[in-house]
Amino acid sequence: MSADEAAGEIRRLVPDVETLAQRLAGVDYLVDEGLATSMFLSLRLPQPLLLEGEAGVGKTEAAKALASILETPLVRLQCYEGIDAAEALYEWNYPRQLLSIRLAESQGESLGEEDLFGPDYLIRRPLLRALEHPGPRPAVLLVDEIDRADDDFEAFLLELLAEAAVTIPELGTVRATHPPAIVLTSNRTRDLHDAVKRRCLYHWIPYPTPEREVEIVRRRVKGASETLAVQVANAVSRMRHSDVQKPPGIAEAIDWLAALELLGVETLDAGTMDRTLGTVLKYEEDQEVIRAAGLEELVRNK
Amino acid sequence: MSREFRVSSVELDLPPFVGAFSRRLHEAGLPITPARAADFARALTLVEPISRRRLYWTARGVLVTDQSQVKTFDSVFFAVFGHRLDDKPFEPETTESAPPTEEQPSDLRPPTSSGEAEHGRPSWSRAGGAADEEGEEAQPQLIASDEERLASKSFDALEPGELAQLYHLMSSLEVATPVRRTRRHVTSRHGAKIDMRRTLRGSLRSGGDPVHLRHRERRIKRRRLVMLCDISGSMEPYARAYLQFLTSAVGSGPNAEVFVFATRLTRLTRALSSRNPERAIQRAAQAAPDWSSGTRIGDALKEFNDRHGRRGMARGAVIVILSDGWERGDPALVAREMERLSRLARKIIWVNPRIAASAFTPSAGGMAAALPYIDELVSGHSFAALRAVVQAIGEVGGRRPEVGGAGPEPVEEDWASAEPVAGSSVAMPSGYGPSRGNTTPGWVTDE
Repeated sequence: MSADEAAGEIRRLVPDVETLAQRLAGVDYLVDEGLATSMFLSLRLPQPLLLEGEAGVGKTEAAKALASILETPLVRLQCYEGIDAAEALYEWNYPRQLLSIRLAESQGESLGEEDLFGPDYLIRRPLLRALEHPGPRPAVLLVDEIDRADDDFEAFLLELLAEAAVTIPELGTVRATHPPAIVLTSNRTRDLHDAVKRRCLYHWIPYPTPEREVEIVRRRVKGASETLAVQVANAVSRMRHSDVQKPPGIAEAIDWLAALELLGVETLDAGTMDRTLGTVLKYEEDQEVIRAAGLEELVRNK
Repeated sequence: MSREFRVSSVELDLPPFVGAFSRRLHEAGLPITPARAADFARALTLVEPISRRRLYWTARGVLVTDQSQVKTFDSVFFAVFGHRLDDKPFEPETTESAPPTEEQPSDLRPPTSSGEAEHGRPSWSRAGGAADEEGEEAQPQLIASDEERLASKSFDALEPGELAQLYHLMSSLEVATPVRRTRRHVTSRHGAKIDMRRTLRGSLRSGGDPVHLRHRERRIKRRRLVMLCDISGSMEPYARAYLQFLTSAVGSGPNAEVFVFATRLTRLTRALSSRNPERAIQRAAQAAPDWSSGTRIGDALKEFNDRHGRRGMARGAVIVILSDGWERGDPALVAREMERLSRLARKIIWVNPRIAASAFTPSAGGMAAALPYIDELVSGHSFAALRAVVQAIGEVGGRRPEVGGAGPEPVEEDWASAEPVAGSSVAMPSGYGPSRGNTTPGWVTDE
């Protein structure tokens, strides 16, 4: 019933791929057709969406944009090595359980295990919060950088990905009334398990074309002049094709433009680049590579 | 629900189309399950593929599960639907900035070099297979003295039949890396920390008093092992034996990664992780197209650092490079990339089969450039020498100091910096001493 209601809400909001793309553009997130189609399918099938791509191409932003067009909370789980169920799903409130035991003792009551392991004593971590979201539209669950978690954790996610449900030994299975829209991101530090991939739609987000990047950075840095935005986008694009260890992402391009804007720079030249290079290239070696190739090269017209 | 849809004015019946298309992809090597195909059918009814372009993205979104599959997918898709006849071109950047795929589509076979023309594929893959059958039937049991003789025989002097016997020896090697503590906890009787969860659960039995304290401690895990093997022309006599070594290393644990390189870098971990070693080696031969070509160590290392090492694979890992150090490219690049790698890795072991030769000097450009960043240089030219490699892998060693002296004490992960080690044991061949001075001042040998 309520799952149908959630599906109906989504169908109303995103009837087709074009509408989704327009709505995403409305919240300043520009998508190409591939990403739009994948996001549409992920919402409507529904299936979790696994996004991969270089750092800073907007994987996390995709989930944020999705949450804001659906007008629902974004529940974010940042993965790290050693993350486990107690940090991702739920934990029992031990101090409260202890207090209850003592209280029951002093009042001469008896307290069974089922009393202690009830919903009152449950601390809800992100995954459980996303499942218990009351609707009417489903929450967006972002499992960020899943490749940082160790592979044991992936196995733990399988039930959530496939069934939108989790099993808590003491309580039983918690099934989502409004299954969340799930977005996973990965930086490919290691291969994800096939079982995870099988349950997800997959999309690789490439770097945008310079033209597209101009649009993106201008939407993010309000009031930036077009000339400056074009120069930044072209320079960043050239850096990506040069011999740097860590190619700058869109996030760096936005930071750079914002920094230039703040300094009141009108056109990019070697001097201003020299001062602000640290906002785009975060490695000393990379800065050296770019400086050695000549900063003027970055703004030279083709 | 309509069962038909239109693609560029072509009417298609949905279920047979989905079935046929999925089957073609499956035959091309994509992991398409029936559930995936059903999802694809549902996706088509949702998306209404008004153009070839939309159909492409729908199919790719549902059916492709990894960037490395895109090439294969594209070739099947364009074979079925014609090549880029759309009014608008496909997004050009998808091919431009996507990382090069690690696995080649199955229709690419490794080119055969001149010396192997009569076999039609790298000689060792077939020679090994044939020899295995014959050899085993002819002599069901290996005699101990045979094994001993084989163990000390240099790999470049092996007969094809002996290669197969060698595999029995190889599989007896236990490749194990040193351990480290992870952030995860396991229940333990002697752990330093109290496991609140279990203690409290247990306390219910004793009326709320935590009578039995449960402890936990950090779990201990083996470090990742990353092996990079040179398969260029100059390494050819050793490559076939080393491939067997790599296979048994991959089989020894889940935490090993294997790459081969000549002119390009190929990841072989998947290809080699088969229960059947013969099959693993055949798959490896198909996966790497550059057998016996020139060597570009610097480029291969750079590609490894950029694509895998920097992202986490090399961090804290034991790196084994099997190469003779003959470099066609610029040795300066080798030095630069080795430096990067040494900052990430726990320990770097270089296996160079040529140092067994008495007249060996590290004159090969790549070898000389890499030398300052190597923790151990071992020969590994025969099975007996490979034992030394296995031992080097297992030693805690490395550039970082051991905590609490010797022994199998797990060492806390230390990202801070590479402190100079006094008295670290480093196996360097006589003739030239370690010259780590430029990166870690104060380095002292114990000789």
